[in-house]
Amino acid sequence: MRGRLGKGVVSAAALALVVSACGGDDGGGSGDSASSGDGEVTLSVSAWNMDTTPEFQALFDAFEEANPNITIEPVDILADDYDDKLTAMLAGGDETDVLTMKNVIGYSRYANRGQLMDISDLVESADTSNLAGLDAYDIDGSYHAMPYRQDFWLLYYNKALFDAAGLDYPENLTWDEYAQLAEQLTSGDGVHGTYHHTWRSVIQAISAAQTGGDQLGGDYSFFTDQYEMAVGLQDSGFALDFGTAVSQQADYRNMFETEATAMMPMGTWYISGILAATESGETEVDWGIAPMPQRPDSGEVVTFGSPTAFAVNENAEHADAARTFVEFAAGEQGATAIAEVGVVPALQTPEITDAYFALDGMPEDDLSRTAFEPDVVELEMPVSETTSDIDTILNEEHELIMVGDKSVEDGIATMGDRVNSEVR
Amino acid sequence: MSHVTTQPDATRPAPAERGRPPRRKGRSRQIRRNTLVGWSFILPNFIGFALFTLVPVTAAFVLAFMEWNSFGSPEWVGLDNFQRMFGDENFRVALFNTLFYAGGHIPLTLVAALTLAIVLNRKIRGVQFFRTAAFFPYITSLVAVAVVWNMLFNPTMGPVNQFLETLGMANPPGWTASTDWAMPAVIITSVWRDMGYYMVLYLAGLQTIPEEYYEAARVDGANAWQRFWHVTLPGLRPVTFFVVVMLTIQSFKILDLIVVMTDGGPGRSTLVLAQLIYREGIREGRFGYSSAIALVLFFIVLIVTVFQFRLNERRKA
Amino acid sequence: MTAMPDAPSPASPAAPENTPATAVRARRNRRLVRKTLTYVVMTAAALLVLVPFAWMISSSLKRNNEVFTVPIQWIPDEFRWSNFVDIWDRIPMVTYLRNSAFLAITITFLQVLTGSFAAYGFSKVRFPGRDALFVAYIATIAVPWQAYMVPQYIMMQEAGLTNTFWSIILLQAFGAFGVFLMRQYYMSIPDELVEAARIDGLSEYSIYLRIMLPLSKPALASLALLTFVNTWNDYMGPFIYLTSNELWTVQLGLRSFIGQYSADYAMIMTGAVISVLPIVVIFLLGQRYFIRGIATTGLKG
Repeated sequence: MRGRLGKGVVSAAALALVVSACGGDDGGGSGDSASSGDGEVTLSVSAWNMDTTPEFQALFDAFEEANPNITIEPVDILADDYDDKLTAMLAGGDETDVLTMKNVIGYSRYANRGQLMDISDLVESADTSNLAGLDAYDIDGSYHAMPYRQDFWLLYYNKALFDAAGLDYPENLTWDEYAQLAEQLTSGDGVHGTYHHTWRSVIQAISAAQTGGDQLGGDYSFFTDQYEMAVGLQDSGFALDFGTAVSQQADYRNMFETEATAMMPMGTWYISGILAATESGETEVDWGIAPMPQRPDSGEVVTFGSPTAFAVNENAEHADAARTFVEFAAGEQGATAIAEVGVVPALQTPEITDAYFALDGMPEDDLSRTAFEPDVVELEMPVSETTSDIDTILNEEHELIMVGDKSVEDGIATMGDRVNSEVR
Repeated sequence: MSHVTTQPDATRPAPAERGRPPRRKGRSRQIRRNTLVGWSFILPNFIGFALFTLVPVTAAFVLAFMEWNSFGSPEWVGLDNFQRMFGDENFRVALFNTLFYAGGHIPLTLVAALTLAIVLNRKIRGVQFFRTAAFFPYITSLVAVAVVWNMLFNPTMGPVNQFLETLGMANPPGWTASTDWAMPAVIITSVWRDMGYYMVLYLAGLQTIPEEYYEAARVDGANAWQRFWHVTLPGLRPVTFFVVVMLTIQSFKILDLIVVMTDGGPGRSTLVLAQLIYREGIREGRFGYSSAIALVLFFIVLIVTVFQFRLNERRKA
Repeated sequence: MTAMPDAPSPASPAAPENTPATAVRARRNRRLVRKTLTYVVMTAAALLVLVPFAWMISSSLKRNNEVFTVPIQWIPDEFRWSNFVDIWDRIPMVTYLRNSAFLAITITFLQVLTGSFAAYGFSKVRFPGRDALFVAYIATIAVPWQAYMVPQYIMMQEAGLTNTFWSIILLQAFGAFGVFLMRQYYMSIPDELVEAARIDGLSEYSIYLRIMLPLSKPALASLALLTFVNTWNDYMGPFIYLTSNELWTVQLGLRSFIGQYSADYAMIMTGAVISVLPIVVIFLLGQRYFIRGIATTGLKG
């Protein structure tokens, strides 16, 4: 009898524990934190990795200071799989006011499903002449998001390795000169001349930007030169080969910070990463940035970039405050706030660039400054309903070319065949 | 061994008929009573299961006949999604890869897990350490698993190929860097990872075989192999049924290991159905099509399971 | 075949012309050699199996930009034990561990309870439609979660349960896995035992409580262990359903080191090593139940 009673008590206690623990934590949702009269508004904003992504906090603090009646409540989502969660939340009718658009492919999905509010009037009323990346959000003449951040690609290089090899820093390079440098900088003790990260954009997006090729078009012969250069470099050992990079999950930060590569094409987001690594003593690499290498006939510096934007949820509880926030983030004050934490804002003015180069540890040479002001920044991938499917195909065929399963010619031909047969 | 091996179903009346004269009225009352009792046991789990799994699964299956982008109202399209599936090369590739994976993973894991359980069921010193070691692959971070196995499989520097070369193989496989060998590499890794998991189930199963059966077999002069074949294996039949069905299910919906290890690549060489379902649904917003693939997957597994169930029932009788 | 209690042991392969003493010694030597060999082979196998785990530990003691080197560096230049101190500051690890423990324990408890209860209905009570219901039960496990995640999320949202522990508990505590596992073990317990108890006048519920539960301890232990491990390591479920940071689990906390463009893998591995420890403890505790004898004592009665 006692045994059974004891078991009963244990189960009852366990049940009580469940009830109390579950009941205790229902805060944090957007529903409960509604506005409480007098124009006081609690604005919910979806963001990722609040603890490790300082730009959000900087932006929120600046906004709250400028709008004392609005308090921001971040909805913290993991950067990894961010879009999976957002998809589920929006399907469930979530009322989070402002949604961060992590990339343009995700943006095109939500916008095409009608989950984002049309904010064309905001875009038209604002001064957008210096707002980079805005075109990416144009869907048939209407806008559903405004960029606040625009990263673009440039060439990182290790000054010490260039000095040791007695070479000039990489100014105004063509791709042929870049390949030659890679050969000269490769040394026996494990240092590669350059490192191409495994993303397809390293080869495809840059060649689309510089040749004017259309990645949604179905004819990919414009990739040829870039692939031949990249495959040539890895076959002769001047760049880490793709198979090893993928299977060892090679990390571009590791490659550059441990001086395993002398050059590396990469996005501007890495600037804040390398600044932080230097400050914490994780690396002592002496680095600089240069413009991306160009095609021989190019008269200007062309690169590609990917903007990040804020959008207003179609179901937003506080649509007006949300619009205010989106406009603020894309404007002068928002741009200054994020530039101060080392993030490249979408709004580009000389003042903001000055603020950016005033950061501790930034290289101060002219070349770096030039690198930061390319003539043309093309969009990494054009936005349309087919973007996402084509992205998948281009990525699969990219892998096959880079592991040597297909020749450059065959791989590019298959890309075209598959895009034409599977997507249309 | 007939003096210990009991065959309850054959030698005695089924419990439902116990002590009842074959009168129709009493029998049907007994059936009703048993149904009530049976359901009273099942209900606490069934309510939760039905509400939180069965209902959404059914909803997903209805979606298989619709087009839905997760926003707005779904539109009835009949069998369009299925028609599309049969023309979709991605589906064919993923189906083939999934069958390939299942065909390798199920038997190999079964044998590895059973062997481990039998080896580690002995009363030897330190057996706890070895059991824990065998279970460790299952709880090791997937990233670590992927990195280390990819290193072992590295075509030029990896120890696996260096070993194969010393054996005299001139052209060892390219493993995860080649379209032909990526799937075998994934299978080997997954067998290594899952064997400890199923070992735990077999270990528990081995405890239900009474020591008397072994003693009796020894008395009858059976050697170790005969004891394994005539006592251990039949005694493990219910567990083996469980392990085979779970292995089948887990193999057909394998996703996590592949995402971390190859992410479906190179190319589409390790793209599996669960990944396609994820990609089409959550990523591309074609929830109807994604549900249709899930429905096909469900029927494949259902057929295999019913087949195994029948086989198991027949062998039991 | 008949029982012959006084029959000699069949395991005596010694040649008849040997004297008993030398035969015994030879056998003992041979056994010693075999035993040593077994240990050597088993230890080698165990070490091989543990290689990825070793990588995990080695990475947890490195600087982040040393983790993914080509080729792999097994021993860090400098052991950064500080990682194991820093992680508690970088993320609220205590809260995450507490949440993970709460979820894993609650779900395991409910799964074992309802699973073993339902399993009795599926194995020892006969009623029409039982087997069909059972097969439907297990076939549902075959549907990948990604396929019905969104309908399920919408349901939970309607019920106002998203962003509470309830969502995860309700989703995972009533899985078919436990029912299936326990049913299979109950099948291996002879029906006469149950019948005898029925004749003694025990109700079905007391048969479950007094006979089946004590007899199935090894199975209960393995179900509890596997459920605990799966809940503890689950990432997608908590990720989709738990939004507030104070509800996050360890696995979510570790993923927060993966940023938009790069990741802090040293911290991830440090956290992974910490999060494995509770599982190892549970596994060592659970091993007590993998001992023969518990089940057989019941059968003799």
